[in-house]
Formats: sequence, C-alpha cells, structure tokens
Amino acid sequence: MAQITLALAKGRPAKDTLALLKKANITFPDFTEKSRKLVFYSADQSIKMIYVKALDVTTYVEEGAADIGIVGRDNILEADANIYELLDLKLGKCRFVVAGLKEIPLTKGSHIKVASKYPHVAKKYFAQKGIDANTIKLNGSVELAPIIKMADVIVDIVETGSTIKENGLTILDDVHYISTRLVANKASFATKNDEIQQFIGDIKNILVNETEA
Amino acid sequence: MQSYPHIETDLLADVNYIHQRTEIIQKLKNTFLSFGYKEVYIPTFQPYDLYMNMNGTVNQQEMMKTIDYNGNVLVLRPDVTIPLTQQIALSQPKTQQHLRYFYILEIFRQAFEAKGSRENTQAGVEYLGNATPEADAEVIALSIQVLAEMGIQEAKIELGHADFFKQLTKALKLDHTQLQELRKLIQTKNVPEIEFFMKTLDIPKDLKEIVLQLPFLYGAPQKVFEKVNQLKLTEAMRQSVTALEAIYDNLVAYQVDQHIVLDLSLINHMDYYSDLIFQGFIEQVGKPVLMGGRYDRLADEFDANIPAIGFAFDLQLLLETFANQTKVEASIDVCLYYPKAAMENCINIAHTLREAGLQVVLYPDDTAKEHAPYAKYLVEYTADELLVNQTAYKTAEHLLTYLKKARDTSWHK
Repeated sequence: MAQITLALAKGRPAKDTLALLKKANITFPDFTEKSRKLVFYSADQSIKMIYVKALDVTTYVEEGAADIGIVGRDNILEADANIYELLDLKLGKCRFVVAGLKEIPLTKGSHIKVASKYPHVAKKYFAQKGIDANTIKLNGSVELAPIIKMADVIVDIVETGSTIKENGLTILDDVHYISTRLVANKASFATKNDEIQQFIGDIKNILVNETEA
Repeated sequence: MQSYPHIETDLLADVNYIHQRTEIIQKLKNTFLSFGYKEVYIPTFQPYDLYMNMNGTVNQQEMMKTIDYNGNVLVLRPDVTIPLTQQIALSQPKTQQHLRYFYILEIFRQAFEAKGSRENTQAGVEYLGNATPEADAEVIALSIQVLAEMGIQEAKIELGHADFFKQLTKALKLDHTQLQELRKLIQTKNVPEIEFFMKTLDIPKDLKEIVLQLPFLYGAPQKVFEKVNQLKLTEAMRQSVTALEAIYDNLVAYQVDQHIVLDLSLINHMDYYSDLIFQGFIEQVGKPVLMGGRYDRLADEFDANIPAIGFAFDLQLLLETFANQTKVEASIDVCLYYPKAAMENCINIAHTLREAGLQVVLYPDDTAKEHAPYAKYLVEYTADELLVNQTAYKTAEHLLTYLKKARDTSWHK
C-alpha cells in the first residue's frame, strides 16, 4: 500500500480529529501541538500528515500536494475547490448565519451591505436569494460592522449564538450547517483508492460505534 | 526598481524543458501514428459565432476575442473538436468511413481568476464514423498506450456515462436551482450533504436510493456493475449501464482492464458528450491529464450525422510528472575551437560533421574558453590537425570515424 498524505487543519478541529483517529489506531507519535515541525508520520508510516492553516487545506488537496484533508466545512465552502467531500466527522458542529442589528427583510430585489470573513459564501447565499449584496471582507470581530454602520448584516459562524447576542445582533437566517469534513483530491481518489477507502472505513467504524454507544 | 511585464512561465526559454517537451510530443505522435491516426491542423483563428451558437461547450467569457478589419469577431482556437467536426460535417456529411485523426495544438482560454495559463497545448485524437464499443475501447486503449510509452504504468482511467446523470435528473424533475445544487454535490461526492438534500425532496423511494448510492458507484468495474444492477434504474439509465458493460468487455480484450475504474457519478461540463465520458489520472499529478468522451450528436449542429469519440491530453500536466526526474541534457555533440586564420577550413569541417548528423557549434579560440557552450566533445583546430582528447586527426573524415565509433560504444549504452 502506498503512503497517503493528509493535510490537517491547525487549531481546534485538530485536537478532536487526532483523538478520533487515535480510536481508529491511527497515531502520530511525534506530534505535539507546540511542536514546530510541520510534517508527522503515523506509527505504521502509512500516513504522512502535514499540519497547515485551515484556510490552506483545500488548496493543498486541490493541487494534489495532499491526497486527503480534514477541515471545517466553512473553509470548504469559502474555497469552492474542485475536490471530493467524502465524510462528515461530526466534529466542530456550528452553522453559518446572517445576523443584523434589527430585523432586515431579506427579500428578492433588495440591496444589502454585508461584512464577512467568508465573502464567497456570503455572495453566493445572497445571489441565490436574488439580493444584490455588496460584500466587505473582514478578518475578525465581524460583529462590529453593523454596530458602527459599516454594513447592514454579517455572515458569520456561530456555535451557540452568544457572541451575536452580546453585541445586540439578531440572527436573521441560517445559511449552512457546518462540521469537520474529510476531503480528497480527485486524482488521488483514482490512483490511491484502496488506501483512501481504508482510511475512511476506519473512521466510519469509530463513528458508527460512537452513535450506537 | 523597474518592474517587468509578466510572461507566461511555459514559454520561458528553458532549453531542457523544451527538449523534454519535444521528446514527449514525438512519443505522442509515434503512438498516435502507430494506431493509424493521421495528423490534422485547425487554424488558430476561429469565428466567434461557431462557439456562440453552441451552448454548454466553451464558456464565452473564457474565449480570447479579436476583431478583423471587417469587424468580424474571431476567437483564438478555444477547442479543436468543434471546428474539426464542422469541417468533416460540411465536406463529407454522408461519410461511412472510419476517420482517425490526431492533433497537437495550442488551445487558448482565459480563466476567470487568472490562475492557469492562457495557452495550453492539447494532444488529442478524434475518431469519427464509428459508434461501436470497439471504437470506444480503441481510443481508451490508445490513451493508456501513450502513457505506457512514457513509462507511466500506474495510470487510471475513470469511465462514466453522460446520459446516466441526464436521465436520472430527468426522472427527478428538478428545477434549475435544485439541479445545479445536486450536480455540484454529485461532482464532489458529498455524501453527507446529498443525504441532507434528498430529505428536502419529495421523490419516489427508488429514485432517492439511486441518488444516495451514486457516490458509491465508483471503483473496480465488476463490483460497480454488480452494485448498480441491484438498483431499480429507469430503462434509459439501464441502457447506459449496458453500453458501459459492452465497452468494458472490449477493454478486457485489449488487456487494459486493470487501468479501468468505473465512476457513474462522473459529469463533464461539455454538454456535447452524449454517451461514454472518461478522464485519466496518473500518480503525482493532482488533475486529470486527459479527458474525453463520445459526442455522437455534435455533427447534427452542422446538418450531418456522424458519430464520434475523442480525447485530449493536457501536455503541461503530462510534463509535470517528469518535473522531479533528472532532465535529459539538451547538449550538443561538438564544439569546434578555431583560430581566426583557419576559419574557412573549419566552416568546411563543421559542414562535414553536420552532414553526418552531428550537432556542431563553432567557437573562435580568441574568446575565453570558460564561456564556451557545453558539448560532448571539444575539438581544437591546431596546425592543420583536429585535436580531441589528446589525439590528433588529420581530416574531418578521420574525426568522424572516431566520433562514430565512440558513439556506438558509449552514447547508446
């Protein structure tokens, strides 16, 4: 069996994912979160893991630098990459919402100013609704934009919705449900199908056991 | 600091890259010719209207447009299949002949987000006038043979059927937005989201089951045929599966079945594909190196009825596989140092050597030797003699005898 390269998104999902993989007997002995290394090998050398920024996972996979990747659906939707999205790891569950200071009617034909860390997702959502949206890309504290009147609404990720509420914003609509997903390069899926299917099968078994327990 | 205009990297004067490119083109040509395919040429400028009138082929925004002095809009050849089909349809609309053509030509398209290159070389074949599964198997076997000639043994060809998904969506009766969404989900084999999407639809259970199974109708052909035949397909969908089975049987005869993967969720954005569609992958390259399919209805656009199948390799992607290998040095054979006084004599010597098929450069000996081009043999002209590896030869013919002997023993190891 050939070795497969896995791009794992840094940050919160990584910890949960590695815990899940451990249950499937896939471990990375060298790995610690504080390590400055970027490449790790599984105990049986069957997987080479590269530890990269969440935003870059789909790029590594689309370009074929990694065969598979594990990353949040928020990044997958924003990147809109030409890859396979094969499995829901049921981790890091949250959702994309539209939120604003007050009830803003999201009706066809209206104009709206949107601030988001995810301009592509925002644009696509409003286009489908037939709303003419002017998107502003921000890199953090998106909730601020409606408060200081830079935008009418925001499109952002919420887990519980408490940050949104604390800033006096109301959730106007759900855009997408989000969780951690397994993605694959289309060429690798053809040339390393057995290895990738094996990896998916191992994780699936754990997921099935967990839902049954 | 001055900034320079950006040039496309593929056109850089990297002689080793170009040398390798030429060698691969030669291999492609030889293999195409060995299957009886004849080379054709399609002019660089094509009428814009040819593509405008054909929906679902080349994205109109991607075409490079230009205007001639009459005000006609022309495009730089964005594809070969359409103009070639037009030409055959107009010149021999009633042809019963099997026509086998190949081309190695540049294709011009501008991607919306200037990610890729505007100029790509495609090496493809078109086989017209034969609608049988034997013809399908022949072109697929040819594509595998091309890769084998390049030393690529692990190629995988994914086979699908354009009509399978078309018939499925017809039965599902989806609106445009739903269709777009389902298409996207199928193309990404998005198992979790397909399940979610299907919950929102009110459709018969059998059809729902087919959609849910689509991402899993992938892999070794025998297994996929087994799986798909357990589903309650519509008659039209059943026909496309039967067609694929017939093609697969022929591929077994060609002994290339170990390269074949079936993918019933394969969808190609070129609308003219009517039956078999396929794409090829090789290790270390993240994108399909070849794409193709059967387009039996395309000639209808030009009032002819000619079935056809074709595919094209993306040459740049093929070259990527060799990027990590040590490049074949594009060196010359002989560098001949000459004193100014003996220039005329040395030009004659160079001529003799060139006639014998050697690559020769002349280099005046009053220029610093360290700037001389790299050659397999350094020949110095001194006192009416030709000095090479500390041995002197009287004439060009003597030198040639030595070089030929050396070549026979060492060059062709």
